[in-house]
Amino acid sequence: MIIILGLFSFFGLAMNLTFKPTPIKIEYPSSWPKPVYNFDNNPLTQEGIDLGRKLFYDPILSIDGPISCSNCHLSYTAFTHVDHPLSHGVNDSIGIRNSPALMNLAWHNSFMWDGAVNHLDVQALAPISHPAEMDEDINNIIRKLIGHSTYRESFYKAFQDSTITGEHLLKAISQFELTLISCNSKYDSVMLKTQVFSMQEERGYELFKKDCSSCHAEPFFTNNQFENNGLPINPILLDLGRYNITKKKTDSLKFKVPTLRNIEFSYPYMHDGRFKSISEVLNHYTNNIKVSNTLSNKLKSEIKLTSNQKVDLTAFLLTLTDKKFLFNKDFSFPLDKYYPDVEKKKKTD
Amino acid sequence: MKLFLFILINLININIYHYQNNDQLYVKIIPLFDNNPIQLSKANKDSISIETLKFYLTDFCLIKSGEVVWKEVNSYHLIDISKPTSLDIFFTNEVKVDFDEIQFLLGTDSLTNVSGAIGGDLDPTKGMYWAWNSGYINFKLEGKQNSKPFQFHIGGYASPYPTVQKIRLKTKKNLNIAFNVADFLNQLNLVNQNKIMSPGKEAQELSEILSSLFYINEKE
Repeated sequence: MIIILGLFSFFGLAMNLTFKPTPIKIEYPSSWPKPVYNFDNNPLTQEGIDLGRKLFYDPILSIDGPISCSNCHLSYTAFTHVDHPLSHGVNDSIGIRNSPALMNLAWHNSFMWDGAVNHLDVQALAPISHPAEMDEDINNIIRKLIGHSTYRESFYKAFQDSTITGEHLLKAISQFELTLISCNSKYDSVMLKTQVFSMQEERGYELFKKDCSSCHAEPFFTNNQFENNGLPINPILLDLGRYNITKKKTDSLKFKVPTLRNIEFSYPYMHDGRFKSISEVLNHYTNNIKVSNTLSNKLKSEIKLTSNQKVDLTAFLLTLTDKKFLFNKDFSFPLDKYYPDVEKKKKTD
Repeated sequence: MKLFLFILINLININIYHYQNNDQLYVKIIPLFDNNPIQLSKANKDSISIETLKFYLTDFCLIKSGEVVWKEVNSYHLIDISKPTSLDIFFTNEVKVDFDEIQFLLGTDSLTNVSGAIGGDLDPTKGMYWAWNSGYINFKLEGKQNSKPFQFHIGGYASPYPTVQKIRLKTKKNLNIAFNVADFLNQLNLVNQNKIMSPGKEAQELSEILSSLFYINEKE
């Protein structure tokens, strides 16, 4: 009996030893702080990233399968749902918030507009289970993945375990999301002194540092805090933001400060997508701040900008566009993962 | 090399075989309703039926004269009365110490709640994780009274309302730990208070009540 068990263990071990995933290290500017995400608990591998990318683009995550993460987070628009004020979900449902752009997530310590989620790994659970988003149950997703022809192998390659668990499902999605790093905009080149701002951009940068950077702090262009930026409450959505999580009166109408990186592509703006253009946003800050008890301290003194200054500021904001990020083929729909034959044919043609 | 591995693995197997035959220290959790074992979905004399009872017991340690003499590593146990094997907590490492108290947490500590996706008993597939306000449900009790449902999902790790509770019981040997669900429900008025699904003051108060109900069962 013991000998037979020994043989089984031996072959089991031998099989485990045959596959080693390829470790991957994320790259980012040396001036940036260390990531908040603890990579020791989820070491990146090419196999894990590939699996996460495949899951990100797979509608198998939603009930009856019409919606994938990428429906609301499109790679070419900084992973937000361009031109859609509020997020969409299964059965033509519409949510209450604008889908946020996804980038530099390893440096975030809270997620969602109200900070409902405290860790990147568990973020995906929220849209997966929300009735107006994917309306699915994680156990059911695992059942579907087990029945799928390729996922067991992909999980084995990524985690050396062909049993698909919730932990590994979520960690794979995190692995892909952690690679979404935007650090190659003109702004970044200027910081590295390999490019220079135009006169107009330079003037805009000075205005930005004076009026905007206390919340949209460099280099991530967010301070990751929750602020009330003086928007009048939407009478239909009646969204109190951070208050819904903490139940503290002092958090009423506060929302997480979004990054401004790739702002050119991530419209519409604000938690409910109420502004279609950068100029509408700037007009809000100069003319339409609604004063209330929880209004951000940083907005208590008026922001004054002439129309020329607004043009300068906009010119600076456009230097945050990172085309290398937006059009990175490693981030887009993984055609080769779904249709390996098509990709092979393309290569031979 | 292969021969070496073969011998090594056989040795490990023999050890496991040997180990399982040892008198292993384990904790037995005995959920009761009044003095009877809980029978799921079966109404008792007060027309109360229990449909779900799941909770986390974590961070087990043994204490002698006020000092921790043994601590379980990675100590996370999901107790689920629909899964009888979950009621017997076998410790993963051998325990050979004298003790006069056992200590554990009802629920999960705050570090666990901010550590992202975790496997095993803490896997989010266990139905004990809140998707829309990150954190574990530490204690879940669902059932009916006179066909009217009650649902207690007690959790929350953040200050000022953490719901994890430390429990310390005096015992020299007996590790049969009982807990009477009726004692909990009797302290509430199920007509007015029959639902909780989010962290807060109420969740914390209920977690305090729950933690006072665990005791060493002297009968066995």
